[in-house]
Amino acid sequence: MITVENLTKRYGSTTAVQDVSFTVQPGSITGFLGPNGAGKSTTLRMLTGLTPPTSGTATITGKRYADLPNPGRVVGVMLDAAAQHPGRTGRETLLLNASLLGVPKSRTDEMLEAVGLSHAAKRRVGQYSLGMRQRLGIAAALLGDPAVLILDEPANGMDPEGIRWMRGLLQDFAARGGTVILSSHLLGEVQATVDRLVVIGGGRIVADGSLDELLAGTGTLVRGLDPIRLNEALTVAGLNLEPLADGSLRVDATAEQVGRAAAAAGQILIELRQSDGAGLEDLFFQLTAAPTAAAA
Amino acid sequence: MTTVTEDVPTTTAPAKHRAEVATALPPARGQSFLKLVAIELRKSVNTRSGRVLIAAILLIALAAMAWQFTHLPAGNAGFDGFLGAGSTGAMLLLPVIGVMAMTSEWTQRTALTTFTLSPRRVRVQLAKFVSAVVLSAVVMTGVVALALASTALAGGVTDHAASYAGLGGQLAGAYLTMGLNVVMGAAFGAVIPQTAVAILAFFIAPTAWSLAGPALFKDNANYLDVFGALGRIAERDLHGMVPETLTAVGVWIVLPTIVGLWASSRREVK
Repeated sequence: MITVENLTKRYGSTTAVQDVSFTVQPGSITGFLGPNGAGKSTTLRMLTGLTPPTSGTATITGKRYADLPNPGRVVGVMLDAAAQHPGRTGRETLLLNASLLGVPKSRTDEMLEAVGLSHAAKRRVGQYSLGMRQRLGIAAALLGDPAVLILDEPANGMDPEGIRWMRGLLQDFAARGGTVILSSHLLGEVQATVDRLVVIGGGRIVADGSLDELLAGTGTLVRGLDPIRLNEALTVAGLNLEPLADGSLRVDATAEQVGRAAAAAGQILIELRQSDGAGLEDLFFQLTAAPTAAAA
Repeated sequence: MTTVTEDVPTTTAPAKHRAEVATALPPARGQSFLKLVAIELRKSVNTRSGRVLIAAILLIALAAMAWQFTHLPAGNAGFDGFLGAGSTGAMLLLPVIGVMAMTSEWTQRTALTTFTLSPRRVRVQLAKFVSAVVLSAVVMTGVVALALASTALAGGVTDHAASYAGLGGQLAGAYLTMGLNVVMGAAFGAVIPQTAVAILAFFIAPTAWSLAGPALFKDNANYLDVFGALGRIAERDLHGMVPETLTAVGVWIVLPTIVGLWASSRREVK
């Protein structure tokens, strides 16, 4: 479990992170979402003791990071997959960590196998692609069999197959009681992986809740054979709607309400579903575009 | 999807999360200082650049001794001559091991991993000091072994007689100055986290003082002349200049060490 309370970081007169609080519960994957420069990495660095906060506290399983006797056995951290020595082999990189964590050498090979890097274990990290470094970073994070994972932009540089693989790995980890926080600015990736969202913009938390809660209210997407008549029918039924560029309508109502209104007017529907994807994207931009207004 | 997250840990999750792989891991323990030193030692030799630096020091020593071998002065082939020839380069390059022990993590950005896995940074930095001194002592021992072999060889194949006069004293002086030089290099590296800048500062600052100091402050400049101090320590004869020697060592070696430990424990890791 991760608890962040009123974290603030100022650099001179600029405030990078302001009064950030949230918790991440065991058994869940929390997406830490925000545009570049929103304060995601600064928050994660304060959480892992790399950056001293100006004020506020952060604890992992009830302890400050610096008070964990051997942190790698409790929390797996990957903040930047590019920050690995290019002159060491993948295996040597993990062996160094294994020695520090007090886990057997065999664990290194198991982890390389688990992330699909066995074939590249003896190659120097300098020759790895960014996706391979992400996998190595995840292997390093999992090495000490931690209960908590903190990953900064883990999907960065991964191909679609790699992203799907990681999604399965993280969901499996959470299903067995693990606590995961991962940051991203890749909305689609976050939506498919996480079950909670903490959205940060301009250094402040602008939204915090389950994916369902945050997506609720974005409404229903409907497309009819005759868009103009459908628009009339739904408006007559008293539903709020917004025509989209592709001829479909986004309606602030449930699918059932839309379906009934359309049926009453004899309109034929060719698509009726919960508005998603674009919904989260809208939410994301709306929440982060004017952070001061949203926070006030 | 997420409505149950609040009570998951107490009801459905296993008591202790276990990752996919079935190996039972030994219980977690803290990190002993000895372990930190061993890991830092391993880091300094498991990259190509680290190994190249060590090989270069030994090769330069070998070349210098070969030159000495072919230009033996009249009289005995003395160990002191070979050690002097071999250690000149080592004395210049071993502090670079010290500098790089401190800076390479910041230049390569592996400090991110190191200080995430060991958040008590002062211990890690102290382990780096110890590791740099140990590694330098090992390399120095290689140079000494080469010097001993050269002396014996010169006694065997040339018409000069091998001489080991003052062996113990020379070794004590060599190891002592080497150790202080390496600590000084490491201290500069701890203060300035960029390899190139730290090496430049290490070589230029005391040299600049030894050139400018006497002109400005006459004999008082000795108080800050670290080369003079190290030279007296190497000779194991302080020539009655105890305060001068202690002050120079304090200002150029002890002070940067303290400032470096303080700075690197507060420096933000990016």
